[in-house]
Amino acid sequence: MIVGDLLEQVLHGLTLGSMYAMVAAGLALMLGVARLINFAHGEFFMLGAYAFWYGYRQLELPYAAAALLAPAVMVLFGVAYQRTVIRAILPRSWHVQLIATLATSIVLTNLAIIVLGTQPKEVPTRLSSTILDVGGFRIAWQRLLVLGASLVIFWALHRFVTRTRTGRAMRAMSQNREACAVVGVDVQRVAMVTFALSAALAAIAAALVSPLFNIFPDMGTVMTLKAFAAVVAGGFGYVNGAIAASFLIGVTEALAGSYVSYAYKDAIAFLVMIAVLLWRPEGIFGRRIGI
Amino acid sequence: MRRAAWLALGAACFAAPWLVAAVVPGQQRYVLHVLIFTALFAALALSYDLVVGHVGSLSLAHPAFFGTGAYTAAILSTGAGWPFVADVAAAVAAAAVVAAVVGVPLFRLTEHAFAVGTLGLGLVAWIVANNWVEVTRGPLCITGIPKPRLGLPGGPALAVTTLPAHYWLALAALVAVVLLYRGLTTFRLGRAFHAVRDNEPLAGAAGIDPLKYRMLAFTIAAGLAGGVGALYVHYLSVMCPEEMTIALTVNLLVIVFLGGAGSLRGVLLGAVLFTALPEVLRLAPTWRLVIYGGLLLVVVVRSPGGLEGLLRRAPGAAR
Amino acid sequence: MRLVLTLATLLLVALSAGAGAQAPPIRVGFASAMSGPAAITGEGVRWAAALAVEEINARGGVMGRKLEAYFADNKAQPGEAVSAVRKLADVDQVDVIIGQTHSGACLGAMPVVKEIGVPMVVESCSHPKIRELSGKGGNEWTFRVALDDEIMAYTFARYMARQGVKSSSVLAMNNDFGRGAAAAYDAAFKKAGITLVSTEFFDPGQPDYRPVLTRLKRANAESILGIILASDGAPFMRQFRELGLTQKVYSRGSLASAEFLHQVRDKPKVGDGVIEASYWVTGLDPEWDRKWTERYKVPPRIHGSLAAITLKWAVVPAVEIALKKHGKADRASIRAALKEVDVKDSPVGPIRFDDNHQAWINMVLLEMRDGQLRIIEKLPTSPALLK
Repeated sequence: MIVGDLLEQVLHGLTLGSMYAMVAAGLALMLGVARLINFAHGEFFMLGAYAFWYGYRQLELPYAAAALLAPAVMVLFGVAYQRTVIRAILPRSWHVQLIATLATSIVLTNLAIIVLGTQPKEVPTRLSSTILDVGGFRIAWQRLLVLGASLVIFWALHRFVTRTRTGRAMRAMSQNREACAVVGVDVQRVAMVTFALSAALAAIAAALVSPLFNIFPDMGTVMTLKAFAAVVAGGFGYVNGAIAASFLIGVTEALAGSYVSYAYKDAIAFLVMIAVLLWRPEGIFGRRIGI
Repeated sequence: MRRAAWLALGAACFAAPWLVAAVVPGQQRYVLHVLIFTALFAALALSYDLVVGHVGSLSLAHPAFFGTGAYTAAILSTGAGWPFVADVAAAVAAAAVVAAVVGVPLFRLTEHAFAVGTLGLGLVAWIVANNWVEVTRGPLCITGIPKPRLGLPGGPALAVTTLPAHYWLALAALVAVVLLYRGLTTFRLGRAFHAVRDNEPLAGAAGIDPLKYRMLAFTIAAGLAGGVGALYVHYLSVMCPEEMTIALTVNLLVIVFLGGAGSLRGVLLGAVLFTALPEVLRLAPTWRLVIYGGLLLVVVVRSPGGLEGLLRRAPGAAR
Repeated sequence: MRLVLTLATLLLVALSAGAGAQAPPIRVGFASAMSGPAAITGEGVRWAAALAVEEINARGGVMGRKLEAYFADNKAQPGEAVSAVRKLADVDQVDVIIGQTHSGACLGAMPVVKEIGVPMVVESCSHPKIRELSGKGGNEWTFRVALDDEIMAYTFARYMARQGVKSSSVLAMNNDFGRGAAAAYDAAFKKAGITLVSTEFFDPGQPDYRPVLTRLKRANAESILGIILASDGAPFMRQFRELGLTQKVYSRGSLASAEFLHQVRDKPKVGDGVIEASYWVTGLDPEWDRKWTERYKVPPRIHGSLAAITLKWAVVPAVEIALKKHGKADRASIRAALKEVDVKDSPVGPIRFDDNHQAWINMVLLEMRDGQLRIIEKLPTSPALLK
């Protein structure tokens, strides 16, 4: 009974962690490849969720189509964002980047309140309403989908980065940008692809979890904070580190929330990060070069 | 600015309650209320600028120090009956101590991790304030914080009860912070700070220990923030966890970067604009935030020196 | 010559002032959370105020005097509530304020309305302290229409005990409302002989209830008392069903509400069996519900509707009394008139302010079933309940 309970919490934590990981991976990619701090990353998640809602509820697309619409929309948005804001701040100091993207985050969140309204949107799907009941252990199928899909996505991401030309260029750029330019890598194009990929990852995460939770304009803010905590704990710019840290945060959050204190649950991400940094100031895996 | 201009400005600031009463008699209480907030915000922004503008450490933890000071003053004055001057001093000390303690591990981190680490600190501080209900009363807030009384216990005391009196107290605090800010950012100490900000390895090679100077600026700034927090709660008579959220960090960033990081005139200008502008614009609150965000974005991208940078570039601008 | 001209001018001015003087409108200020995480409540108040003022003015206003609505944002914080009151009173020159929706903001605003001398009628802050501090408690300028959590907790706890409930866990929002209510129910359960097994707090807006649901499951109380609003209630109840919990759910907030049913309209049975203690529900004023839904396309919101009721059945009668008795409706006369308001038949019951400026409106107990809300009991309240 106790073991079953524990297993349930761990499974829930892994599901949470996979959501955080998809968002944090994108953030780490941008940091590693383009040296960009993007404090508006959570808004990719939020806007992706609304794009999914629009496709599923308003256009009445089937789940899979709506879940693919979200990253498609966010890729376009990501490209637009890159061409406007990012291009202006990329050559600048990271202070400027942080503040500029923080300002963008404020603008996007409040525009969302004005345009989309404060009433939260619900997007339950067939999978989120169908419960798998195994001997008293109950879980909505959607949660298993989140976990499963994230594993597939990470595998695909790994293949992309190690096998494709663009992916390898991304990796090279994260290790030595100047050398890449010299060797003839189209630095601008690779940066744009990284950006689009990062936005898409956040949007897919949103499309996967929105049926379980509700959608509201402020939902990106907490996500940005936790994603940053994961990225920093994982070793700034190291994607696998960010993913690992995200799962650590997810599981700790679920266990602490269930066994210790539910009220302090959201502090957990940061407490984990602080603990990791105290032990290893360069992140869990120590000093790493490249994504 | 020329000496005469500064004196005139100073006189106008001092005479503000009478000027306001003459110019907008019906709204004088409201305008004074806004001016009090402006003065306190300006002092807080200057303390923040010490860390961000002068030593170049992008700390996002300022609300934690403001909140520590505010709650210290609130708890001591309501729960333990401490007199005003004592609880403000305690607030300053408490915030400085917290900064010293967390500064040691924080400054070991690289710049980016430092920023996120301070962000985390601010968040954890808010969560503690919101949930440690036995001490801070959490969301139920600490109420009934007494009005300031300046004087010795048992002796004659000056009670600060009217709005003009509160304004002069806030103004006095601002003047004190301005003088301290000037003292810290000029002469040798100021040059040491700037050396650490502009070229850390070179500063280290020249014998200026970056860690020591960063910690110094960080701790002093925190103490000042705590003091402003104490004054704030004595004015409002209520303290809630909501006063120390990330929103405060955003406000301070807007003020400092809009005005010009590292510049006294710039930050003061930023504070005045930031608090006065919404009253002039009278926009719906959510649009106001969109405009702040947009303004911050444009300013930080186009003119990173903020308004101060623009003013300096203007032909014929004096130092 | 000069003297004649001066006198003529003065006469002209006096005449034109008299002739041009239309009866000035009555200015009503509304303060609520217009921005920030709680902005959904302020939006409701704004919508309701617009609708209600329009309604009243269409009928010719109050004894010929039109109403004008002014708004201020308190961001659900006491510091901002102070600014909001000052803006409404000094800048907008309102004659009366309706606000502040959130208990922390109410408590912050109260000393300021007293200092300035503008009457404030509270439409939904539920902290017991507000009653203690108003009227003979020291603040002659604040009045409250809403019931507070002490009053409701004692009544609801006694009802739960009558239903045979022996134990309960509380799940409350981690804000001024939730903390205040949780404290009230702690005391009330003791008096009613119900064991309080555990108390949990959650941050409003956070969507993941699974950890706390497993805690509640482990605590194994007979019932759960949710101090929770509709926007959080919807994900909560879905996850409650997902985990297969079987406790009886009681609630205080807006869990059993039209808003909730709208959120779960794909699966209305999610809310089955929830019993809620409230003082407002859709259906008390069907005309109002219809107008709201027509205009705003969503079900009526609780805080907004309470603001409208406060305007129509407390403030407007007070203005009428003031105009009849004193011929004017300024702040002092509205305050005096509020003390004499005696409305028998508002949608929420009788509105009459006692010595603590508290109106003892009716409590309603609601049950949700099959996507419908049903009033199972309407309980009049009175000071005797607190004994």
